[in-house]
Amino acid sequence: MNRLHQSLYTAASLVVLLGLWYAGGLAFPEVLPGLPETLAALITVLTTPGPYGNMFYFHVWKTIEMLFASLFVSMIVGTILGIALGRSDSLESTLSMWIYGWLAIPSLVIVFVSAIWIGFNATSGYFAVPVVITPFIALNMWEGARNLDPDLAEMAEFFGAGRFQKFKDVIVPQLAPFLFASFRSGLSIGWKITLLVEAFLLTRGVGFMFKRYFDNYDLPTMMSWLIIFVVFLIIVEYGVLAPLHERVMEWRPEAEGVRVTE
Amino acid sequence: MTASNETQMSADASADTLKLRDIVKRFEKPGQGQILVLDRVDMDVEGGAFVSLLGPSGCGKTTLMNVVSGLVEPNSGTMRRGDRDVSPNDLSLGYIFQEPRLLNWKTVAENIEFALEARDVPESEWEERTERYLEMVGLGDEGDNYPTRLSGGMKQRVAIARALAIEPEIILMDEPFSSLDEITARDLRQELLEIWQREQKTILFVTHDINEAVFLSDYIYMMNTDGEMFAKRNVDIDRPRKYDDPAIAERETELYREFHENVVH
Repeated sequence: MNRLHQSLYTAASLVVLLGLWYAGGLAFPEVLPGLPETLAALITVLTTPGPYGNMFYFHVWKTIEMLFASLFVSMIVGTILGIALGRSDSLESTLSMWIYGWLAIPSLVIVFVSAIWIGFNATSGYFAVPVVITPFIALNMWEGARNLDPDLAEMAEFFGAGRFQKFKDVIVPQLAPFLFASFRSGLSIGWKITLLVEAFLLTRGVGFMFKRYFDNYDLPTMMSWLIIFVVFLIIVEYGVLAPLHERVMEWRPEAEGVRVTE
Repeated sequence: MTASNETQMSADASADTLKLRDIVKRFEKPGQGQILVLDRVDMDVEGGAFVSLLGPSGCGKTTLMNVVSGLVEPNSGTMRRGDRDVSPNDLSLGYIFQEPRLLNWKTVAENIEFALEARDVPESEWEERTERYLEMVGLGDEGDNYPTRLSGGMKQRVAIARALAIEPEIILMDEPFSSLDEITARDLRQELLEIWQREQKTILFVTHDINEAVFLSDYIYMMNTDGEMFAKRNVDIDRPRKYDDPAIAERETELYREFHENVVH
């Protein structure tokens, strides 16, 4: 399938979705906000200041700020933790049960506990979001570190590669797919937790807007906010992550459809 | 130890002969206690010779080679050259593994540069060496290609170029052709012999294939599964050798018989 075909299929799926939405809005107006109403609400959101006189980009920016700051911290902590777990048997035996325990704590509980400990402010969010997503990233990197090829390590050892050269040329490239997977899962989980924090604790950000329009039973405006953020995440994936991933992974045989003759 | 030395080494050769004496290596195996992998093994690797270590799977051939490479620390034994004790760090060694062990995310040329960087070869020499040794293994045009786009035989050629590029005196090879199809393997063996003779290298070659050992080697050390080196046998067949030379088949049969008596009880 070539690129043109791919975009045609994507465009077709969008048209079908909009068509279904339009028809659904006519058939079940109480459940599904109509397409025209949603578009009108979207235009209002995009053009007029909302609560506290802030434009939509202020709220989107606040959400992005919390999401990406948390991702930054979690990627560092989770990667270090995951690699340490994958490399040391004793650390693995000591900590693995607690990692699974950490994963089992509902994110809602973490958000509430942060609010009690820290208060109804952004600091709670900057604490809660990394606490929720770090174990997911650690779990991923743990898997990656366990799969490091001992044969390559031996080869590098034999040729006398130093610590830095081994890290940059042998270890990091093997972990790259896991770094991407971690970032993607961190992003998708993190944005949901950021919304929770904003909805329950704060008076700004996309989560707060959902809460506010939920209180007003204003479904078309909630849909508009959903559209804004989903579009943003799609741009991050297709505009940044996918091209970067392709670049880093260009050595893979399937990258140009070349068959490996073994 | 029943090794019988058939050859009388000349005084010249013995000066740069690497002599391993009484090498013992035990491994701890969970549930089985200690396993004796090398039982007081002696081995002489003459300078410029093609030496094979022949034995069934799991007999400790690779372990013995890794005592030379420094990847395995023996429990006891000595390694001497001339009149001096030597450690693996004193030797100039290249290694070709059973698998190519290339960094798939680096191009063919960068894989060779990886070894050059690891060996602290000045960066100004990288390009010349990379070109020279890729040319030598017949991959002069593949420098910018990724290993994942190469066939198994070509990957092993890159591994050979990588080992040559650090310009070692002794090249260690651990069943390097065993995962290749026989046609590719034969081509590579021929080329290896040409390179070995032209570049005046010493090669220590581990294999379980008697035919391969006879075709390639000046002399062959034979090991059994108890970690003992039970024989050293010469291959006095003129080079260049031909695969269909009856002398090779004959020597192979003799060595096989000997193996059968010593290994299969």
